[in-house]
Parts: sequence; C-alpha cells; structure tokens
Amino acid sequence: MFRENSHDSIAFGLNYNIFYFIFIMLWLLFLPDSASAHKVTIFAWVDGDTVFTQSKFSGGKRVKNAPVLVYDSKDVLLLDGKTDKKGMFSFKIPQKTSLKIVLKASMAHMAVWKIPVEALGGTEPENAAKTDGPQNALKPPSGSMDIETHEQVSGSSTVALGKREIEEIIDASLDKKLAPITEILADSIHRGPGITEIMGGIGYILGLVGVALYFANRKRKS
Amino acid sequence: MHISEGILSPAVLIGGAALTAAGVAVGMKNLDQKEIPTMGILSAAFFVSTLIHVPAGPVSVHLILNGLVGLILGWKAFPAILVGLALQALLFQFGGMTTLGVNTLNMALPAVVCHYIFGNALKPGTGRTVIISSAFGAGFCSVLMSGIMVGFSLYLTGEAFLPAAKLMVAAHLPVMFIEGILTAACVLFLRKVRPEILEGDHVS
Repeated sequence: MFRENSHDSIAFGLNYNIFYFIFIMLWLLFLPDSASAHKVTIFAWVDGDTVFTQSKFSGGKRVKNAPVLVYDSKDVLLLDGKTDKKGMFSFKIPQKTSLKIVLKASMAHMAVWKIPVEALGGTEPENAAKTDGPQNALKPPSGSMDIETHEQVSGSSTVALGKREIEEIIDASLDKKLAPITEILADSIHRGPGITEIMGGIGYILGLVGVALYFANRKRKS
Repeated sequence: MHISEGILSPAVLIGGAALTAAGVAVGMKNLDQKEIPTMGILSAAFFVSTLIHVPAGPVSVHLILNGLVGLILGWKAFPAILVGLALQALLFQFGGMTTLGVNTLNMALPAVVCHYIFGNALKPGTGRTVIISSAFGAGFCSVLMSGIMVGFSLYLTGEAFLPAAKLMVAAHLPVMFIEGILTAACVLFLRKVRPEILEGDHVS
C-alpha cells in the first residue's frame, strides 16, 4: 500500500513501455512476409476427371513432400500420394463419392478438404452419355434390315454424340474460364491472419484484463 | 507447436485438458489484483508472437515466447497461455478448440518448469551475467521442452516418439536461440524500466 504513489508516478512510464512493446511486436510482424508453420491448409478443386489439390502453410509457404490421403465418404482410404515442390498433388477421380482429402504435414499439422458428390457430378452426365452411346450403337444391328430405321437410329446417335460433345466442350471451356477464379479462391483460402484478427485478439485480452480487474476490485471493496 | 485437430486420440485430448484445467486452477488461486495487468500484457505478447515467423530451412516456425511468460508469471502462465491460445484458435485457426487443452499444457508446463529452474535469477541483487544467462536458458529450454512434449503427445497417440520429437526439436532449434536472446533482452529491459514486474511473483 505504501508503494501506491510510486506506482502512480510511473504509470505513464509503464504505458509507454506497453505501447513500445506492442509496436515492436507489430513491426517485427510486418517485417517478414509472416509465414508460419502453425497452420496448414489444403484446397482441392475438380478439373475434368482430375482432382487438383494445393497445400500451403498459413502465410503462403508451400507444403513440400507432405503425404496426402484421399478417403471416400465411409472413411475408406482410396489412394495416397505426396505433394510436389509447389505443394500440388493431383489424382484422377477414383470413384463418384464425396471425397475427403487429408493433408498430413510434418509436426502435428493436418488439414482436411471435402469434395461433395455434386462437385464430381459434373462428370456424371458425361459418363451417362458414354453409357448411352454404346447402347445406341448396339441398336443398329438389330434394325439393320430396315434402312430407314437404321438411318434414324444413326441420326439419333449423332444427336446423342453431339450432346456429349457439346457437354465436353462446355466443360472444357468452363474449366479454362474458371481456372483463374479457382486460383484466386485457393489463394484467398490460404491467406494468413490480418490486422483485424490481430487487433481484435489484443483488444479481447485487454478487455479480459478489464473484466478481471473489475471483479477483483469489487471483491476488495466488499 | 500448435497441434491440429483430428491428430490426437480422444484420451490424449481429455488428459491434456484435465491437466490444463488443474494448471489453470493453480494459477488462478490467490491471484493478486496487481498481477492481472501483467498477465494481460504477457498474454497479448504471447498471442502476437506466434505470428512472427523464423525461416528455418524447409519448414518455417514461429516464436512462442512461453519462456518469458513462465519466467515472469510462474503458474499464472497457465491462464495467460490458455487465453492466448484460445484466441489464436478462434481468430487465426491455429491449433483448434479440441486441442486447446493439450496445446496449453505443452506450452505452459515448460514455462512453469523454467520458472522454477531460472526464476531465482529475477530476484533483486543478482548480477547481470546471471540474469542474462538465466533468461536465455528459460527462453531456450521452454521451447525445447515444448517440442519434446509435442513429440510425446504424438507418441501417446501412436506415432514413434523419437522421430517426431527429433523433428520438432530440430525445426525449433533456431527459435530456441532467438527466444533465448529475446527473453534475455526483455528481462533486462523490464529490470531497467519496471523491476516490479519481475519481482512481483516472488513477493506473493
């Protein structure tokens, strides 16, 4: 209690030191491109019949040589592989179920990305068309006697083929057009914490200190 | 250092949470009002320090600063680090809410141990060399022990202990030296401008 006054007199000095400390911290923070290994992310997208994945540490550093495991909806391991130097890993769609892609980076870091069936569904109609194709192709021999029907059938099969082709063309051009957007999406997902989160956290802690002091003060008064 | 969600087994998670709860209880017992601001400042420093990365070859690791927190706060490092880690999990998605207990234990227990090993040097009247070497030791050893504890957590879940711990320690070697230097600098700075912070814990 007798030191209360000396506390008051250096209170300003203390405040200065706190701000000094926080400023040094923030300065250190923005000096390097703040990449750090406490969080990894994996982002996966479907392009045609291939699933591409991109893995990064928070801050943008690529995860090299890390195992990637692909599970189906029932947690059965379908395939696994390793990321390359750019943190990329791609594989052909093994089956049309929702996929769970797990990245296991070193030092107890793990990230999960799920691909729903709908995302893979883009290839499903194509497959349906493919299975339709042979059926149509099988028809002509049965009706090969009748030239007219044969022509009709072959005509319808070209229409079916046309549909499939159109779908393929649309898929290809969509993939091409969406590629930059997927990249932007991948980058935005890998972005580290910003100034809002940092300031929010510091503010939160200061608020907690305030609450704690309030209750401590009330206890002392009563 | 932050263990992600979904890696550890439930038994390890629950055990870590229970031990952390005990540590927090010890830390919050007989909490002096004067120490609350110090805890807050150190908690904020811990919260921010995780964003400062240290490039270390293939992986990049970050500062932890649990040595400084432990050296000054002792058992009160548990609540301070818990708050910092909870906010890191919520705002930065580092670690996770389920691994909060284990992560707190892995970082706060070495801090407390360092407090008991090196804390005596903070008493008034110790020489400059002793203070510098003790603070460096606290910063260095706390990171070292945290690395070993993370390796041990992985071991309890079924991974081989030695490779996991070796990797953690090897990757954090640069951080240990930087933390040691930083802790020594902070302690010297605090002793010059505000010695009460360093002495506070030994009084109560």
